Amino acid sequence: MQDIDNEIRNLVAEIIEKDPSEVGGEARFIEDLGVDSMMALEILAALEKKYKIAIPEDKLAEFTTLNSIIKVAKQYIAASQTNA
Amino acid sequence: MPNKRIVITGLGIISPNGIGVDDFSRAVFNGESGIKPITLFDTADFKAKTAGEVINFEPAKFLGDKGLRVLDRSTKLLNSAARLALDDAGLDITEENSRETGVVIGTNLGSLKSISDYDREAILEGPRYVNPALFPNTVVNAPASQVSIRFNIKGFNVTISTGFTSGLESINYALNAIRLGRAKTVLAGAVEELCIQTFIGFYKLGCLAGTKNNSIELSCPFDKRRNGLVFGEGSCVLVLEDLDSALYRNAKIYAEVKAGATAFEPAGLGRYNLNSEGLSRAMDQALKGSGLSSKDIGYISSAANSTVDADLYETKSIKNIFKDYAKKVKISALKSMLGESFSASASFQVASAALAIKKQIIPPTINYQDKDFDCDLDFVLGDGCEENIDNCLVNAFGPFGENAGLIISKFK
Repeated sequence: MQDIDNEIRNLVAEIIEKDPSEVGGEARFIEDLGVDSMMALEILAALEKKYKIAIPEDKLAEFTTLNSIIKVAKQYIAASQTNA
Repeated sequence: MPNKRIVITGLGIISPNGIGVDDFSRAVFNGESGIKPITLFDTADFKAKTAGEVINFEPAKFLGDKGLRVLDRSTKLLNSAARLALDDAGLDITEENSRETGVVIGTNLGSLKSISDYDREAILEGPRYVNPALFPNTVVNAPASQVSIRFNIKGFNVTISTGFTSGLESINYALNAIRLGRAKTVLAGAVEELCIQTFIGFYKLGCLAGTKNNSIELSCPFDKRRNGLVFGEGSCVLVLEDLDSALYRNAKIYAEVKAGATAFEPAGLGRYNLNSEGLSRAMDQALKGSGLSSKDIGYISSAANSTVDADLYETKSIKNIFKDYAKKVKISALKSMLGESFSASASFQVASAALAIKKQIIPPTINYQDKDFDCDLDFVLGDGCEENIDNCLVNAFGPFGENAGLIISKFK
């Protein structure tokens, strides 16, 4: 699962235009990293595309740190693997 | 309308033969072509292989690294040109002047590639997986809107899509807005990007040079060998300003914009109507609006784009309005060096006309070799020519019936 953590860190870093090393697990997106709502939507769409999953849009509210995103993503990745 | 005087105080140019006023000016007055083999996409499947492509374009140089990832080429070209125009004019957008500043941009094909790319992703990956951040690029007013957002300009924001005349119509819109007191300063310009989608469209319509049997792939306006246009791209933004505002700022003044006019005469779809009086009317109205007669014009910046009927139509229209003087007035076709960049063409013409007035030199028409006796006007060739230019007429027109003329003059 460490691979997925890194993949998501790189994916998020690319969208928010930061070096992956700058994106700490608990760094606050809006306050610390300057993430805006369009970037959050982009992250959601990119996760869905990469892992072929569907994340409900109300989960966007939980996209506040890298760790919280990884948690949400893993939940839906696991669900999709169970269904498959 | 109150008769306010309006001047050009800044030029921002991202063109196939130069980026920035200095490079563009050097190339245009030396008769250097910006037309080269296309690098943006593979032309192996086409007979036409060249275009006026903007090369060595590094948007981060003008706009910084951040926020460029999701902007399309049109938006980056236009925003870079706007940055250069503001810098050239020495104009800072502040809370005090932001609401008195407007943006009006001509573009027609600017979002075509973005639409195509967006649809492609939806088809290949599924509609659920498209990138929402790329959706704003698919609307035609995205490039202009990004200018206002990036530079915090709070006056009006308008996009004009009137075909080949969009570059002049945007300047006309700016003139009206300033005269009506809606703005003191307007960024008026245009943008088009070169992409395979528009290239194929024009190619299949048979508009491009070098695609018919034994024809030459060359942008050679008014020349007997002409057989179609060579595509171009780029962006040009002019800072138009109320004279009082320009004087108050102690801004440098390139030229005064006197009056513009447009005339629409529906023709057959995509065919130039040689009997149309549209361009004649546009030129005539622009002259009347300026209080000038045809003999006051020292130079015509022609819209001729090396299409057989387009160049003939402009020749006939000039003869209509200029009568005996038609063969004496100096004429030059900038598209011989830049290609046809649709909306952006006329903006480049106005910029080069402003520079011509400032330098009192007319840039040359290049690639002119074989005389066409039906196009028998006084074309400036070679290295251009020194001339007393008090007033310049800039023409723009297209095959769908759109025509426009604009007069710019030496600032006195």
